[in-house]
Amino acid sequence: MADKITVGYTHLSGCTGCTVALADNYAGLLTLLDKYVDLKYMPTLADARHIQQVDVSFVEGSVCINDKLAVEEIKETREKSAIVVALGGCACYGNITRFSRGGQQNQPAHEAYLPIGDLIKVDVYIPGCAPTPQMIRNVAVMAYLLLKGTKEQKDLATAFLTPLMKLAAAGTSACFCELMTNVINQGLCMGCGTCAAACPVNAITMEYGKPQGERDLCIKCGACYSQCPRSFFNTDVISQYEAINEAIMAALQ
Amino acid sequence: MSKVVEISPTTRHEGHSKLVLKVNDQGIIETGNWCSITPVRGVEKLAVGKTPEQVPKIASRVCGICPIAHCLAATEAMEASIKCEIPNDAKMLRHILQLANRCHSIALHDILILPDFYIPGTETKINPFTAEEPVRSVAKRIQRLREIGQTIGQIAGGDCIHPRNTRIGGMYRNVSEQAKTKMYDLAKEGLTLSHQQAEFMIAVIRNYHNRDFVDVGGMKVPMPKTLGYHNQGYLATHAFYGSTSMDECPSWDINRFKEARPYDWYMGEMEVTLEEPKYPIGGTTKMGTKVNPQMEACTGIPMYDGQPVEVGPRARLVRYKNFDMKGTKGQNIAREMEYQDCFYEMIDCIDALNTSGKVVADYIPNGDGSLGWASNEAPRGTDVHIARVNDWKVQYFSMLVPTTWNFATCSKALEGAPWQLAEVIMRGYDPCVSCATHMIVLDEENKMIAQKLIQ
Amino acid sequence: MGAELGNYKSCVSARSTDKELLKHAQDGGIVTSLFAFALEEGIIDGAIVAANKEFAAKYPSKCMMDNSNFDMIEPWRPIPAIVNTKAELIAAAGTKYNISPNVSLLKEATRSFGLDKIGIVGTPCQMQAVRKAQLYPIGMRDVGASIALAVGIFCMENFPYQSILQLVEDHAAMKLESVKKMEIGKGKFWVYGKRGQVVQLPLKITHKYEQPGCHVCLDYVANLADVSTGSVGSPDGWSTVMVRSKIGDSVWGKAMAAGCFETQPIEKVKPGLELVTKLANEKITKNKKTLEGRATFGVGKALRNPYI
Repeated sequence: MADKITVGYTHLSGCTGCTVALADNYAGLLTLLDKYVDLKYMPTLADARHIQQVDVSFVEGSVCINDKLAVEEIKETREKSAIVVALGGCACYGNITRFSRGGQQNQPAHEAYLPIGDLIKVDVYIPGCAPTPQMIRNVAVMAYLLLKGTKEQKDLATAFLTPLMKLAAAGTSACFCELMTNVINQGLCMGCGTCAAACPVNAITMEYGKPQGERDLCIKCGACYSQCPRSFFNTDVISQYEAINEAIMAALQ
Repeated sequence: MSKVVEISPTTRHEGHSKLVLKVNDQGIIETGNWCSITPVRGVEKLAVGKTPEQVPKIASRVCGICPIAHCLAATEAMEASIKCEIPNDAKMLRHILQLANRCHSIALHDILILPDFYIPGTETKINPFTAEEPVRSVAKRIQRLREIGQTIGQIAGGDCIHPRNTRIGGMYRNVSEQAKTKMYDLAKEGLTLSHQQAEFMIAVIRNYHNRDFVDVGGMKVPMPKTLGYHNQGYLATHAFYGSTSMDECPSWDINRFKEARPYDWYMGEMEVTLEEPKYPIGGTTKMGTKVNPQMEACTGIPMYDGQPVEVGPRARLVRYKNFDMKGTKGQNIAREMEYQDCFYEMIDCIDALNTSGKVVADYIPNGDGSLGWASNEAPRGTDVHIARVNDWKVQYFSMLVPTTWNFATCSKALEGAPWQLAEVIMRGYDPCVSCATHMIVLDEENKMIAQKLIQ
Repeated sequence: MGAELGNYKSCVSARSTDKELLKHAQDGGIVTSLFAFALEEGIIDGAIVAANKEFAAKYPSKCMMDNSNFDMIEPWRPIPAIVNTKAELIAAAGTKYNISPNVSLLKEATRSFGLDKIGIVGTPCQMQAVRKAQLYPIGMRDVGASIALAVGIFCMENFPYQSILQLVEDHAAMKLESVKKMEIGKGKFWVYGKRGQVVQLPLKITHKYEQPGCHVCLDYVANLADVSTGSVGSPDGWSTVMVRSKIGDSVWGKAMAAGCFETQPIEKVKPGLELVTKLANEKITKNKKTLEGRATFGVGKALRNPYI
């Protein structure tokens, strides 16, 4: 089908949990592939062996800069994709690979890992560990509207994706500390509890209504900060939640 | 004259790996090396000095397909080191979570191997994502089974990809009666679907292996009746769950375990001398490329009683249920035969779960540096984690993960097969390569881990 | 202005017809009644509310506890909890006037609680959090589609627990244990004692105790809730109810048909929407100024604006 968008999936030093999250759209995944997405390249789910020219590339995992192949792959991904989406905590912020320090067999020199944004320009972030099927779905549908939609749809998709583009532009470091520095220290926290729910490792509890981060548990995925309503809140888009949710659900019928 | 062919990267499995194959004039594999080329994130090394609560959460993240096994084996290895007994209801929640993960993983593996097979009664290979019947109904059933597994995992484990509810000493929360009812309903639905799915898959697998020739990228390749046979032994530690060093009769023995590096087992530098552009998809590696499995492989070679062994569904069935079918066919059928049992066991565990029981141990010691290990039967085989915790800090951590066990065994199983079917043999192991790249050898000198560890 | 009340399909002044329930409710018993009805009808299979220590002692497995020593949890400290029955709802009823992180239970509700259809009550900012979680579910897997009824509460600002303690124990000179009810209304902070005494504090006293994060909030009437409610605009014992979304419309319609509420047209009651509009404008104007101030807060350095 000509009017699908072409999508690639580059797998670097990640755990394939992001791939599973994508597949966890269940029947919705089949609809996505039927109608909107032509999956050109994806190591686990598709058969192609090499990175191809695509509209949108999802990248899972961080880059081991001591591994020539990984560095080549991320560069090639950038060259061959119109839009690069960093999928999951590792690609966006390093996640657990931030803790890596090498010295392990059979490649003791594999010690330095960087989020992809430290090596290439990244357009959109989907943080979290694992990222959620619904977030991947929403971004995929919006990317489709951005590239193939009417003027109105393009505008909506742009508005929707803008905060995720800003996250990508903002940097490659996020953990519970971002909640402290960018929300609490900035006098913006109102104690809703979102961060505690979003944390995938139960590192955040709400003490007297404010987040307490157990930094020895935090894995640096960035979910708490980006889910926080005070990290970004684009009222114009979110106030249309009903219509947008309905449109996405209808698109996946 | 032998020729060298390389398939890199291999596809339709987790992670990055490649096959380096020395083949004879008939294209039959004489020596096969299957190796991981996934960068080594060094989870065992980065674990040192961290808290035993954090390490299992990191260990979970070595693999997104069998994270549950890693999370549970790591948690239980820590608990074995500090000698912490957890309440029975926490155990039940862990069992449910583990089986739920297997339910999703088998279904995912079905998606990955289906393109090798034919729609029975036709010469059409299966594209699992086609909208056409009969495949679409199968794909929907697969996705529903995955949904059931992931949803049950989410209830028992807090989250299904990387579980959130597990902790040292048990689980953070027990589930409500309402949640228990939901798990029952889902498990009952899953049981029915798993019967249908296993039957379908077994028919498709038999159909494929009973053919005289199969198609690979337009090449007509003879199908040996002994595809994937090997003479290595089997290792499994439980019919479905696992064992730990705290058990009265542990089913794994650290003294029988040894590890070598690929340097001893794999081929040295060679040059690719056979190139096949027709091989799907994108052809094999270019003629003249230098390959060096010895140096490139990113895993170790674990051995039990001095030899690589096979772990996984067939190993469990051989060890606990007298299953006797060899080869790739037997392996794939064994996996499907575990499907229903996933749900029977799960329903038993939900029955046994008391939702008002406590799920955290009353006393959680800080550890005195003792060695503890725990095995967990991941969908693709035995996952053993070894830990030493002292004063609430991890001193030592090691993960012997299923696909690492299988790398060398599968390499043996490649021998005697047409090289074009090497990926089919490999996929029979349901490889999870990212997790496999996390081994360490404590003592680089004598390449042996066990003696050092038990001192 | 004009957008200060958000989009709504209908607005009435209402009160629960359940007399027993009204005894425990803050104003018109809207939240409690609506959730009780939704639970009974299977519209929701559990609701996230702000409970308290007594509730937590009785139903420990239904709460999201913090790391406090349980015996040291003070009176009027909210504890987010999930309720499944009317009795549990009543046990948790009433406004607490300090932060209850209800959204912290949103994911767990779909996990160990096994809910498929969640009800949640919260402040306007919590409704924003819920909608962001639906549209940008970065760390909220399988949550969005399970939210079956979000009820928002009108809110000028919220308080940290210590603020409520100081307001009651210092300014109102009452022990928190002795307080039966707290309320903000008619330009005053009211504290009602168990023995019948009433203390009123002028709102200017409360300002220094407000949570700073509230000062950038541009929503007074929970624009993003399915149904939002608050005492402002309606006579004593009644609540103003704004029905906003399709879900809200459907649930409210069913509850009305079942006779859960008696209503009066909002145009007919005093002080009516005029006061709601006035207060909404006051809040928005004041907080927009705060946001402007933040833009030039330092020397060539701004404080962060979450809306851009």
